[in-house]
Amino acid sequence: MKGIIFTEFLDLVEDKFGLDMVDKIIEQSKLESEGVYTAIGTYRFSEMLQLLQNLSTNTTISIDDLLLTYAEHFFSVIESSYPGLLATYKDPIEMLASIENHIHVEVRKIYPDAELPTFVVEEKTENSLTMIYKSSRAMHHFGLGLMNKTFEHFNSTAQITLEKIKEDGTEVKFIINKNE
Amino acid sequence: MSQEQIEILQRALKREKAARKAAEKILEDKSRELYALSEELKISNEKLAASVTEKSSQLEGVFKNINDAYVVMDIKGNVLKMNSVATNFFGYDISKEKLNIVKLIYQADATYAFESFNTLLNTGSFSNYTARIITKKKEIKWVQINATIIYDEQHKPIAAQGIARDITELKNLEKQKEKILKELEKSNGELYEYAHIVSHDLKTPLRSIDALVSWIKMDNEGSLDATTLQNLKLIEETLETMENLISNILEYSSAGSGTSESQDVNLNETMLNIQKLLFIPEHISIQILKELPVTKGDPTKFQQLFQNLMSNAIKFSNKEKGIVVIDYVEKPSFYQFSVKDNGIGIEKKFHDRIFKIFHSLNKSKESTGIGLSIVKKIVDLYEGTIWLESELGKGTTFFFTIKK
Repeated sequence: MKGIIFTEFLDLVEDKFGLDMVDKIIEQSKLESEGVYTAIGTYRFSEMLQLLQNLSTNTTISIDDLLLTYAEHFFSVIESSYPGLLATYKDPIEMLASIENHIHVEVRKIYPDAELPTFVVEEKTENSLTMIYKSSRAMHHFGLGLMNKTFEHFNSTAQITLEKIKEDGTEVKFIINKNE
Repeated sequence: MSQEQIEILQRALKREKAARKAAEKILEDKSRELYALSEELKISNEKLAASVTEKSSQLEGVFKNINDAYVVMDIKGNVLKMNSVATNFFGYDISKEKLNIVKLIYQADATYAFESFNTLLNTGSFSNYTARIITKKKEIKWVQINATIIYDEQHKPIAAQGIARDITELKNLEKQKEKILKELEKSNGELYEYAHIVSHDLKTPLRSIDALVSWIKMDNEGSLDATTLQNLKLIEETLETMENLISNILEYSSAGSGTSESQDVNLNETMLNIQKLLFIPEHISIQILKELPVTKGDPTKFQQLFQNLMSNAIKFSNKEKGIVVIDYVEKPSFYQFSVKDNGIGIEKKFHDRIFKIFHSLNKSKESTGIGLSIVKKIVDLYEGTIWLESELGKGTTFFFTIKK
């Protein structure tokens, strides 16, 4: 997993819960990296799982909610780092529909070894979109958070419903309806 | 600040330092990797540039040096590039005026031209397209064109290139040849007809003389002396010689004319025919050593050929037991025949002369000096050669070849 996911995550934990919490979850987890992360490095996904799990235990907030909040924060990272990418879109539905064919292609140019989820478009109209999320990471709520922020970015809102196709969350249907 | 807080900060600081160093190392490795990669790229770029230069100068050379007209055009037929041969040949200077290939098409060949262009588009090439074009000076020229489609990286046709060869001269020569052949055929026919009429006209007075002589003999039966009778006999014989001569000339004039029909000729049958026709005296035997082949040609000509040689062999026999031997050997592209006799033989100094017309070595009423000329003419017709071996007093062998 790319280092930027870790560094941004720990920055957010520090911001919301203080450096004590950062230190605590690192100490509580068994980390190969010993909690030393740089945005340009690559680390095991299991480290992220442990950090999330320990944060969830310490704060009694569910992992899904933590991921949702983290994703909303992460969108601002994208906004400030890759404004050009966002500027190519005028509509949130268009942007979400092209995750697979455009955004992930761009991501791979910068991080060739990135392990990305797949978003297959099942149905698309002007104001609605149905996509199937597939990833062994089961980080669908991270996706949901990014989507919420996407609509916000384009000054609109949407009803986004998640239906788990697989119980473990590795395959989830996203049903998105833009609010008129 | 509590001890615990200090420790937390110290640990955080330690992590930050370690992270910085890790990042520095990653970046260093990355930049080294990038440097190596850019060096590699530089080298391969140089190689590519060199090979492009080489290839373009090779192409430029071909373009300039080629003796035929070279034309590059887009898919719609607009000419993009021409070498100087093409500029001179077609008369258009594309640096000064636009040219579409359609403008060059000669109206009568238009359908063929468009069909060929479709073939080119569909299959990627055509070869030996032969048609007329019209130049800027309104000259009509014959060209032979080979063309191929030029494709882009996605295999989309983007242009066509063609090499046009000026075959106007060749076409003119071909036409001229056809014309000459036709004229030749016609004049040959006229000549033959003329010979026919002449021989008929010449024979008529001969027959009158012959009739007159026999009347003189009849009217004066018993009153003519021996000398007069002898002279009258000589007149009759001379008339016969004359008639033979005329017949042979007619035969000769038809001998060389092209074989109108080429068919299988079984030479064994030819031999049977000849033996029925020729008068073969008791003391002469004809020996055919092996079964003769079947050749292609005009049966009458083959009969003339063998008949002339065999009748010569019989005619010039001076032995008690005369023999005429027919034989042949097969070679890859021709047959070599031989007609051998044990007759009087021919002196070496006459060997060349005997094939010329009216060259009879023996003056007699059956020998007109035309036979061997006919033989030679027929052998020539079948792209063969004829020669002889002979010893005076012992005999002669004629050899001749016939192309398979």
